[in-house]
Amino acid sequence: MELFARIEKGKYIDSLETLFSATVFNEQPGIETGNIGMATDSFKDISKELGLLTDEIAALSEGDYVIVAKAESKEAFEAAIRATEAVVKKSSESKNDVSYGSPMEAVRANPHANLCQISVPGEYALEEVKKALDAGLHCCVFSNNVPLKDEREMKELALSKGLLCMGPDCGVANINGAALVLSSINARGPFGIVGASGCGIQHVAAILHEAGSGVSQTIGTGGNDLKAEVGGLMMLAGIDVLEADTETKYIVLIARKSADNVKPKLLDRIQKCTKPCIVFFMDCTKEQIEALGAIYAENLDDCAAKCLSLIGKECRFETDEELWKMASEAVRGMNKTQKYVRGAFSGGTYMDEAMHTMEPLIGDIYSNAPLREDLRLKDSYVSLKNTCVDYGEEEFTLGRPHPAIDASIRRPAILREASDPETAVILLDFILTPPGHPDPAGYVTGDIQAAKKMAEQRGGSLAVVASVLGTTADFQNIDEQKKTLRDAGVYCVSTNCRAAKLAGMIVKLKKEADS
Amino acid sequence: MNPEKALKLFRSPLVVVNVGPKSFATAIEKQGYETVQVDWKPLAGGDKQMQELLVVLGY
Repeated sequence: MELFARIEKGKYIDSLETLFSATVFNEQPGIETGNIGMATDSFKDISKELGLLTDEIAALSEGDYVIVAKAESKEAFEAAIRATEAVVKKSSESKNDVSYGSPMEAVRANPHANLCQISVPGEYALEEVKKALDAGLHCCVFSNNVPLKDEREMKELALSKGLLCMGPDCGVANINGAALVLSSINARGPFGIVGASGCGIQHVAAILHEAGSGVSQTIGTGGNDLKAEVGGLMMLAGIDVLEADTETKYIVLIARKSADNVKPKLLDRIQKCTKPCIVFFMDCTKEQIEALGAIYAENLDDCAAKCLSLIGKECRFETDEELWKMASEAVRGMNKTQKYVRGAFSGGTYMDEAMHTMEPLIGDIYSNAPLREDLRLKDSYVSLKNTCVDYGEEEFTLGRPHPAIDASIRRPAILREASDPETAVILLDFILTPPGHPDPAGYVTGDIQAAKKMAEQRGGSLAVVASVLGTTADFQNIDEQKKTLRDAGVYCVSTNCRAAKLAGMIVKLKKEADS
Repeated sequence: MNPEKALKLFRSPLVVVNVGPKSFATAIEKQGYETVQVDWKPLAGGDKQMQELLVVLGY
């Protein structure tokens, strides 16, 4: 195998397209390993890891496009590029092949346009949001790493024009039935959600959908909205619009932590709201919420359950008894060395929830985003005892799409953790969304089976526990994804919280059995 | 905030202008909604010094 490269200076291809191209390219005959992308630092790092970095590529700037591979021959390399380009061209064919130079031009040609979805690198977001707001468009801003002062500026400008600015770092928003950015596809219903946690909104909306209800609108504010510098501007605006919207009968509010100067404003607004509010604020007590006349939710599962109880419906989660039964079955066949849980997450909110759920059962958990600073991993690729890693953290995603889209970021973790004889349980979350992988469960079942075999060859038995976030309306279909996992021997339970509890129970039972 | 324009959005057919990866627009189209693509690439191909110069020159 020889190394071949094609470099096109000044050609810009976005990261999602290069990711797709790289996936297709690596499947072509005659290609051993290949990489495609803009010559950013992260591209160079990954290429180096794959043994594909040449001096010429190392010297390129991030405005240059590179295709590089270890290939059988120059002919095979060129043929693989042609085949990849043909597949990519076919997949990106759209009903509307016209494109415009700016939101204003787009609106002039399409006067009915009413919302702008913006996914450009964070440093460019403010400029693009201003253009969209000036064109009269509501905004949904997926871009992350946007400076807080820029976020404040774009939200103030939006409000002055009477427009919504969802995000930056807005992962989830469902408007008029459409799943924007990384949302799940949901049925319409009486619940309007405003949330500063994309995963939280998606979780509650998905459970409502699966129970036969749905959402009027979901408004993602971005995780920084409730910070002091931003002032909760979009959370407050979201409450205003959902209160005025006749399709919204109940308002659901979800947040992790709000700044000291923001929380009183929020609580005051909730108290004045004329519609029933169901509130899951991780930093508020039951007493604080109920004193406002609102309904308190203890966690995301409880939030969905409380919503459904208002319309006489319920959701069914596994009981603790059912989980203990699964746990005792799972520990059978494990050998003496197997002691710990290893969680590999695509979502930060889910990892947080999982660690909080498991900690009372198993004690300290090491992580790249730990509950306590002294539990921070020195190296996110080397797990210690009980460990959870968030693969959505910047160290893994800089210059790459989020793991909900790019399932390959987390994939190596399964075999890496399974190769450690101390691993008893691997805990995974799967997130479904229209731009996501068409079969995220199927993508890793080969690795899961190989991981289980590794444990068996050491005379043990590996438990794999997972949850899937999504709906039956998602293109990947949650029921099919769950079946794929169960067929591969995975304990696939109803929610992330239940999955974490099961994983914790397995580790606890194993410890008791060993002592 | 004054909810008037948001309520107008909620009552109108959704038409999304997409600034960024085309695959996000395709994902919305697949759900049956209209999209309009804006081609975006970083000014001066991402070259920071050139971008600063262009800003000074009024671009």
